[in-house]
Amino acid sequence: MRPKSRLPLAFTIPKADDKHNEDRYHRSAKGVYALSDGASVSFDSASWAAILVRRYAKSPEFTREWLAAATAEFAKLYDRESLPWMKQASFDKGSFASLLGVRVIDGGQLIQVLSIGDSIAVLCDGDRIEATFPISAASEFGRSPQLLCSSPAGNAFLDKLDLDFDLVADWTFRGLAQPALLCMTDALGHWLLSRRDDHPSPISVLRKVRTADAFARFVHAERAAGRMKRDDTTLIALW
Amino acid sequence: MPYQAEISRDNPTCFLFVIDQSGSMDEITETGRSKAAFVADVLNKTLYTLVTSCSKSDGVRNYFDIGVLAYGGTAVASGFGGVLSDGIVHPIHAISEHTLRIEERKKKVDDGAGGIIELTTKFPIWFDPKSAGGTPMRAALNKTMETVTDWCDAHAGSYPPTILHVTDGQSTDGAPEEMADGLRKLSTKDGPVLLFNLHVTTNGGAETVFPTSESDLADEYSRMLFRMSSPLPAHLAKFASDKGYTIADGSRGFIFNGDPQCIVDFFEIGTRPKLVADR
Repeated sequence: MRPKSRLPLAFTIPKADDKHNEDRYHRSAKGVYALSDGASVSFDSASWAAILVRRYAKSPEFTREWLAAATAEFAKLYDRESLPWMKQASFDKGSFASLLGVRVIDGGQLIQVLSIGDSIAVLCDGDRIEATFPISAASEFGRSPQLLCSSPAGNAFLDKLDLDFDLVADWTFRGLAQPALLCMTDALGHWLLSRRDDHPSPISVLRKVRTADAFARFVHAERAAGRMKRDDTTLIALW
Repeated sequence: MPYQAEISRDNPTCFLFVIDQSGSMDEITETGRSKAAFVADVLNKTLYTLVTSCSKSDGVRNYFDIGVLAYGGTAVASGFGGVLSDGIVHPIHAISEHTLRIEERKKKVDDGAGGIIELTTKFPIWFDPKSAGGTPMRAALNKTMETVTDWCDAHAGSYPPTILHVTDGQSTDGAPEEMADGLRKLSTKDGPVLLFNLHVTTNGGAETVFPTSESDLADEYSRMLFRMSSPLPAHLAKFASDKGYTIADGSRGFIFNGDPQCIVDFFEIGTRPKLVADR
């Protein structure tokens, strides 16, 4: 088992050099990691994504109360009444973001994964993919994933779910010779699942990425080759 | 495959609303309001929704160019008032900034803690109902063709323009069908222009929504509007199907005598872009 306090590598780059990156991530020394992909076509998804990952890293228990506290925090960022009509309407409609959170407990004896949206976690043994969550095939990346919304009405879809069952997966590093855990937003997730049977394996490609510059070079090259969607792209990697 | 272009600030698409404002649009519908008032209300709501979908905390992104062409009497002109009346098509940022007025409306929303609260919301108005004179539809579609040709020339790589034409009466300046045929032949590299027609009427007749043939339509005029309409592309057909409409291969973007919800849906489906970029 790996040491408890080691922080994973984490990298993020925007969809284009002149565009604002609306992905956010957070890593705590307690083995809690979170990333969130903010939907650009919403009011202020970067702030919403930042609230989600910070709150998850501090308190990794996703409940309706947890979400209500997050939406309340977001609401305080703006004075709704003073916004011009178009911003008020967009504020009311909400900001949207995915949330992928993992808790590595007892050095990997138990790994709890929470995911809402299309950011994915990947459990590996060496270069082999052992499990992915919540998406297991590239074809499952849809155009309109269910995302967490800063306006409570936008989260009604959660009422139909069992939050302790439908949104979570429990994994373990036990029994894996060379365990690794990856968390990534959808562009990278699609890239990885599209090539899961390639040689060399996509895991071995990512394993070589150890610096922010190397991550940027890798993403730029894959985008240029048409193999990766041009989108904000984030990776958390616990090798 | 047509209709695959991502819609972005660099490659916006265009929605052009062509609105009949002839005298007969003042007839009262089953909602108790005139056809013109109902259409103006739906159009205001549609623009509100489009602007909202482009609005972020740092401003309005120009994903869409929006035009309104109004015709009635002998006039074919921009349907916008004020500053916007100088042109037909404007970037959505300009639309957001130039309203006729802002009204206040109440709405009830989830408070996030199991309750409901009432919010006062600012609601922009761009159009007031108008209705007078004849129905110069041929001239209107001719102007539409000029406008769309210019737009396609300037945006060759974009998702092609969508034209939503709302009318209640027969053309009074000649047959419009050949203009519609010409319009549907215009294209960008991403596919042909889409022309959808909404026939509002108080004359009765069975409601017909996204039909595949003209055989069940009540009169020659509605049959002509059917022929003038583009088939629904797959992504819009799916969206219409998801909203509960019966869709088949060859369903066209045409509605005859739709109920109020159906008219609202016509605008919503017609302005549903395939992809919104930059997610």
